[in-house]
Order: sequence, then structure tokens, then C-alpha cells
Amino acid sequence: MKKMIALGFEGSANKIGVGVVTLDGTILSNPRHTYITPPGQGFLPRETAQHHLLHILPLIKSALKTAQITPDEIDCLCYTKGPGMGAPLQVSAVVVRILSQLWKKPIIAVNHCVAHIEMGRIVTGADDPVVLYVSGGNTQVIAYSEGRYRIFGETIDIAVGNCLDRFARVLTLSNDPSPGYNIEQLAKKGETFIDIPYVVKGMDVSFSGILSYIEATAVEKLKNNECTPADLCYSLQETLFAMLVEITERAMAHCDKKDILIVGGVGCNERLQEMMRIMCSERGGRLFATDDRYCVDNGAMIAYTGLLAYAHGTLTPLEESTFTQRFRTDEVHAIWREKNEPSNMNDGVSSQV
Amino acid sequence: MAGPQAQWEFSCDLEVDYESEENASMVYAALAVDKELQPDKVKRQMSVSNGKLIVHFEAVEARFLRASFSAFVDVLTLATKTIEEFGQGMEL
Repeated sequence: MKKMIALGFEGSANKIGVGVVTLDGTILSNPRHTYITPPGQGFLPRETAQHHLLHILPLIKSALKTAQITPDEIDCLCYTKGPGMGAPLQVSAVVVRILSQLWKKPIIAVNHCVAHIEMGRIVTGADDPVVLYVSGGNTQVIAYSEGRYRIFGETIDIAVGNCLDRFARVLTLSNDPSPGYNIEQLAKKGETFIDIPYVVKGMDVSFSGILSYIEATAVEKLKNNECTPADLCYSLQETLFAMLVEITERAMAHCDKKDILIVGGVGCNERLQEMMRIMCSERGGRLFATDDRYCVDNGAMIAYTGLLAYAHGTLTPLEESTFTQRFRTDEVHAIWREKNEPSNMNDGVSSQV
Repeated sequence: MAGPQAQWEFSCDLEVDYESEENASMVYAALAVDKELQPDKVKRQMSVSNGKLIVHFEAVEARFLRASFSAFVDVLTLATKTIEEFGQGMEL
């Protein structure tokens, strides 16, 4: 039998990506283009949408060409329904609606957060992990239970990546390839740890106060030569990541799961991975993480997750192919997971034959 | 704030001739999905006739009309280009 193939579109933030995947998770192509703003500046919805408008059609051609497929061979078209910025989300949605009519293919609306999780699981082989989803727009600790990805802890204000990105603007670090990457590199040269507020509230975290504190302190301390930009990057990373490790560890204990999967753009930070790996090893668990090809937003993750849903009978009628800025991870019924629940619920000591 | 008896005194019309009922209908179907974000400030009516897409906007203030119209033209252009590049006889 022919393998099922999906074409996926992602454009919820500053990256526009188109990916081609098969149901077994093979990525045939996954080109993307990032809207990079000048140092000191963030990306705004209108300008970001203009960037996506400019790049989406060439990306489709490139994705089909690299994958060496024609539209005839595609089984379904998948797009990010949300969460994300409205105007950028609309770009993918409009193109998918037209292609669906031109090529007579069904549409599948995909939740961006769930797509990160499914991409992480298929790439790393993590079967049923506690998931730390960390990016510029989201910070959640998630675990699967009874048909849904449930949120066990999350940020109560801004995302961890947003905190890092905005601190990079204070230091006017380059946004190329990403502000977080440049903070990570600079942090390696940090020598002195500066005390920063540490804000964990039960299973949740808060970053906005930390950002305000370091924004104010940084300018003052740098002016008085009390520390270097590298010290600040190092101290900020250590503090933020320690908070994430703490709530992830608590979720592990709560859910009685041993494995951790880190997804989302901040997930490619090697220091975060290192700190999480230490915690995991102390609890006898394993850490699963990926590099920037898979953890940063991309079209393949949307294609793959949409294809899972499609293979289990879900599709989105054209009239319902809307987008939405708010779309929580636990709103999605993950039917593709229900049909193959892990049979060994007792950590390998399975009573089933 | 616009009251319940808001005056729809700003309006404009847009007509795109696709010379194809099929293409005009495709664009119509794709763009009809997204409703106006502030229905109390801007109204949009669309129809297809003789291969043309006909759009009528009404708004309570000029700035709302401008914002809606300009955002609409952006996605309309995108939808049209998508048909041009990926419709019949596309080349990869």
C-alpha cells in the first residue's frame, strides 16, 4: 500500500514553514524562512504576516520539489489553527483553503502545541514522556492522560522564550539566527552569578517580574561595571532553567513518569538540556530532546500531526478552517493516542500477555 | 464607543474579474471563512457574479474601513496568486 503523505503549513509566529511527511514520520522536505528583525526589535503581527505572504508560495514549490512529489500524491493538507498571532496564522489558512479546492484534498486543522509534542515523540522515540514545551510564546509542562495532553504547569504571564528574547533586546543582541541562541553563546562566557528573583508558584512559573528586574538591574550594573553582559545572560539562563527543571520534576513525580521530552524553540538550548538531563538521571529517567531542525517551528510537525488525525478519521470542512489566537493544548482530543495506549502502565512490569 | 444605532456612513466597493466562475468562487469560499473581527464597526458583503468577485465594505469610521480593506486586499492577492501558481498547468 502506498504511504500516506501530508503537506503541512506553519506560520503562527515569525517562521513560515512548509513540510512534507509520511505517516511513519519520514520527513521528505521541511523548508522554512524566518522573519529576522533588527537588534533591539521584536516582531509585530502585521510585518510578520507580510513576511509570510512573500515567502509561502516559493516554500511550497521548494517543499514539493525536494520531496519529489506532485500534488496528486498528497493525501491531506494540514495547517496551524492556533495558538499564535492572528495575521500570520491567516496566511497559511488562506493558502490551504485555495489548495484544497484546486487539488481536491481534505484539510486538517492542527494545534501548534500538540504538533510540537508529536514531532518530538516521533523524532526521539519517547513513548509517553512528561513534556516540557518551551518557546517564545508558550511555557507548559504537559503529560498525556485519557485522550488529551493535559497541562500540569505553565507560565502565568509571559513565555520563557519571550523573557529571553526581550532581554536580548536590552543588550541589543542579534536576532539572527535567534535571540535565544545568541544569549546561550554569550552565557558560556559568564563568570559571576548575579542573584535574580526565582518565581515558582506551585506547578506554575512567572517570568514577567524577572524580566522587569533584570531589565532595570542590567542597565545599572553594566553602567557601573559591576558585571558583564555575559554574566547577566549566564545568571538569567541558570535561574529560568532551574525554575523549569523544578516544575518538570514535580510533574514527573505527580504523573509517575520517568521520561522527559523537551520541545519548542527554547528546547534546543543545550544548557537547558544539560540541567534537565542531570535531574532525569537522579530520578532514573531519560531525557529526550532534539536540535533546531525539529524543535523550532516547522511545517513537518504540522503535516505529521495532521496526518495522524486524518488517519484516524478527523478532518476539517473548508467552512470551518478558521484560525484562532487562543487554542489550548488540552482542547484537542488526541484520538490517535487512544487507539494505542501504552500497554505497560506499570513501567515494564506488564501483566498483559 | 459605537452605539447600537451606529451610522455606516463609510463604504467602498471592490470588484475583481477572474474571467472564471470557478476561480472567483474558490477565492470567495476561501475568504468567506474569516469573519470581520469587529462586526459592530465594519461589515463585509461578498458575492460572485459572471466570473467576478464583488466585495462591499461598510464601516462606522474611515480608519476601520481602511484597516479592513487593506488586510482583505492582502489575503485576496495571496489567494489569487496561489491559484495562478498552483492551478491548472502548474510547473514544479
